[in-house]
Order: sequence, then structure tokens, then C-alpha cells
Amino acid sequence: MNATTLGLRRGWTEQLNLWSDRKELLNALVGTVGTYVVLVLFIGDDNVPGAPVSMAAFMTPGFLAFAVFSTGLMGLPMLIAADREEGTLMRARTLPRGIRVYLTGRAVSTLLTIALNAALVLLVAVPLAGVTAPATPARWFTLAWVLVLGTLAVVPLGAMIGSLVSGPKAAAAMLALPSMLLMLVSGVMFPLEALPGLVRGIAQFFPLYWQGLGLRAAFLPDSVLATELGHSWPLGRAAAVLGAWAVGGMVLAPWLLRRVRGR
Amino acid sequence: MHDVVIRVRGLRMAYGPIQVLKGVDLDLRRGEVFTLLGPNGAGKTTLVEILEGFRTGWSGEVEVLGENPARAGDAWRARLGVVMQSWRDHPRWRARDLLAHVAAHYEKPRDVDELLATLGLTEAARNRVGVLSGGQRRRLDVALGIVGRPDVLFLDEPTTGFDPEARREFHLLIERLAGDEGLTVLLTTHDLAEAERLSGRIAVLVAGRVVTCGSPAELARAVQAPSLVRWEDGELETADPSGVAWDLHRRYGGPVPGLEIRRPTLEESYLDLIDETRETATVGGTR
Repeated sequence: MNATTLGLRRGWTEQLNLWSDRKELLNALVGTVGTYVVLVLFIGDDNVPGAPVSMAAFMTPGFLAFAVFSTGLMGLPMLIAADREEGTLMRARTLPRGIRVYLTGRAVSTLLTIALNAALVLLVAVPLAGVTAPATPARWFTLAWVLVLGTLAVVPLGAMIGSLVSGPKAAAAMLALPSMLLMLVSGVMFPLEALPGLVRGIAQFFPLYWQGLGLRAAFLPDSVLATELGHSWPLGRAAAVLGAWAVGGMVLAPWLLRRVRGR
Repeated sequence: MHDVVIRVRGLRMAYGPIQVLKGVDLDLRRGEVFTLLGPNGAGKTTLVEILEGFRTGWSGEVEVLGENPARAGDAWRARLGVVMQSWRDHPRWRARDLLAHVAAHYEKPRDVDELLATLGLTEAARNRVGVLSGGQRRRLDVALGIVGRPDVLFLDEPTTGFDPEARREFHLLIERLAGDEGLTVLLTTHDLAEAERLSGRIAVLVAGRVVTCGSPAELARAVQAPSLVRWEDGELETADPSGVAWDLHRRYGGPVPGLEIRRPTLEESYLDLIDETRETATVGGTR
């Protein structure tokens, strides 16, 4: 069986094993959907200044982007660090093509987690925040590629971080603050225009900003463009930045993982 | 020599200033069960991990199945089976799922259910790996190590946690694999009875060097731990029990009452050897 098929199967089994653990499943659901509900209730239904869209609806694509981002850059490193502690990573090293299969599997299980979270958040978002489904087939397409490319942009990176830290607790400690900061400056919760130019420049280097932008382009009407930098949806640039992160990570991560010594 | 599966010459390895391996030579032949013995810290794990291709930074010549382990690829890796000590991986997977998943990495794997049956794991097949008993977990590790039909199998303390029957079954299995399929086994163990039972040859690694290598009998002879000669009126520790018995025969002018000669066990020889090596090392160090 080729490494990709084997990795797909691995990820599927991995995820079923995780979901069949009721505590883990509950944690994942309450963690993401629960946070979303609290945020929406907290923000209320005031409109975004200068746009005919509620704050809650504006925030929803950003929240989705952050869910993808944190699943890839926090959840995944913690899983990998745990796998290393348990010896799962070492087991993969003893198998032919084992690391590739392992990484594919982790990418798949991360994708499944993201898909489940996204579906649940949207299910809640429609009645609660007045979010409507993407209006045209083109916007559905945008939703699909932004989710996939956004996932691919963070998964290899998350894998690298997971292979560098000593354990799951260290991963959580190391990542919590930077990802909170990045969330604040990436315009996922409120329009970026409020922030100084330097901060906006830094934010645009990271995938989170572009993913948030892509998802807003899929969900929000063009009437909110007044709140976007440059008043347009630069989807080509979003694809380029997310793609560059994905490719860069995919080249570096396997190389680095092969060098991991610990069991 | 085409029959040499593992060949090591002048292998050295250091962690910073600490020399772990100080020039190791080894040859393993096809179908041989070879045991690596040695006290903790002797460098056994390092040596085995180098052979498995998990360590770099060594110097010397190492060939496993004709390739340098530090550079060999997936085709080479597919011919190796590895059973490490105290594995706790994949705790949420069901035992059979994990074995089938690992099997799918190989071109011609063994039949998963047959293998489970051979190792007495059929009833545990649906259980999660994390809840298996110590012995079941160990047997699953062995199954995972041999499911790909390897040419070389590395076994690190394989029977820790086995009950006597499981241990005997396991020994029979290893003997069969080595005998029928030409599997070469490198066993690391503290269990001397296991080493004596299973292996054609034993190498003793002390302080980064192979101090002796040979069959269990050769090992005992090479070390010459004293034999004990006992008879009705006394007892004597000697390196030449046969000579002592002859003297006694002459002294008694015939059969010696209650004569008993006890050769050193492998364990005594081994412990003697380690003590000796340590003394030499200490003397060398104070000079």
C-alpha cells in the first residue's frame, strides 16, 4: 500500500480512536463551540462600524480561521509531543516510510478535527449570529480552498514545533501566548484598520490573517469591504501566502522529524 | 562473505567527552541468534541503536544487510524488525488494528490473525493497547517486530514480564524463525538462562568493549571461573577440577567417597568476567 493511502487510513483510525473516547470528544466540542457561543453572546448584535453586518457575523469567519490555526499550531504540536513521549513517533521511525505515513495520518486527523469544528461552529452560527451560507458557488469554492490551504499551511509547522518541544505541557506553555498575540493582531476578531501600520505589516506575514480574510470573503457580503485593508479581497495573495507556508513547511518538517532523537 | 548479515569493525561513539563505545568488532551470520550481554551502562543500547540506524555521529565501519545504517533507506528498513524495551506507544489503538496497520507498511507481511494466534493474543485482539497486561503488551511488540518478515530482528529484553509458559513459547518461536526462515536475531538481555537457551553465540560488552565472544561453553571456559570440587572430607575451588579429582583418586587409592564436581554456571562466569574487567579498568585508571 502506498504511503499516502496508508497515511489516510492511519489518520482516520486515529481520529475514530480519539472520538470514541467520550472525554476527549466532549473536550474538543466544548472547547471550540462553547468558546464561540460565549463570544457571540458577549459581543452582542451591534453592527460593525461602517458596514451593514453584525459584529458577531463579522467575527465568525475569524473565529473559524483561529480554530483552524490553533488546531494546527497548538493541538497538533501537543499531540505530536504526546506521541513522542509515548514512543509512537519512535515506532514510526522503525517502519519503512513510517514518518511519512505518520505525518500524513496526523495531517488527516487534524483536517477531520477542523472539519468537525467548522461544521459545528457554522451550525450554531446560522441561528445565533445571523451568518448565512456562502452566497454563490464561487464563494463555496473559496471556503473550501481557504480551509484546506489554511490547514496545510499550519500542519507542517505544527509538526515541526511538536518535534522540537520536550512534551505536551511544554508545547502548551510555549504556544499559548504567541498565538493569542497573533490572534489579536490578525484582525480575526475585529477589523484590522484599528491597528498601527507596523502591526498590520507583521500580521500579514503570518497565515492567520490571510485565512481570516479568505473566510470573510466566502461568508460576508461585499458591503463589508469598507472595513478591509485596501477595500478588496486579494484572494490571489491569500493563496500565495498560505501556499508558501504550506510548501515551506512540507519541505522542512519531514527532514526535522527524521532527526528527532528522543523516544 | 555473503553470509555475514551484520559486520562491525572498530566502532567508536562518544557523547561529548564520554566514550561509550571504544572500538567494537562484531560479526553476525545469517540465521544466528546472537546475544549481547553486559551490565547497565556498558553501551549495549547505543550499539544496537547504531545498528538500527537511529544514531549518527559514530566512527568505524558498520554494515547491516550490506548497507551503512546511517544512510540506508526504506527498502533496507523494511528488512529490519525492532522490538525495543518498554514501549508504550499507540495506547488508544486496538491491538489488531495496530498490527494490521504496521503490517500494511510491508510488501509481504505475515497473516495478522495467524500471528496473533501464535503469540496467544487472539482474545486480546479487540482490546485497546493501553489496557493490555505487561506480558500481552510485550507479545504485541514482538508481533509488531516480526509481522513484516524481517531478515534481521533486534530484540531488547524481549521476555520481561512473560510468565514461564509464555517465555517458553516465545523461545520456541524465535528458534523456529531463526531455523526455518533464516532470521538473524540480535538479542539484548540480562537473563542469562535465556541467552544460554537461545543463542549460538554470546558477546559480553563491558565499558564499551567486547571482552569476550563465543558459545556459552566457550564463554565459561574463556573466563575460567573456578569449579568447585567437593568430597566427603573437604572441598576445593579450582580452575583444574579434573586434575584435583585425579589427585584425590590417587590419595584415596580408588573411588573418592561423595565426589562431586560443579562447573561454573554461565551466570558465575559472566559475573566473574565483569568483576575482572572492572578490576583491570580500575588498576589502569590509577596508574
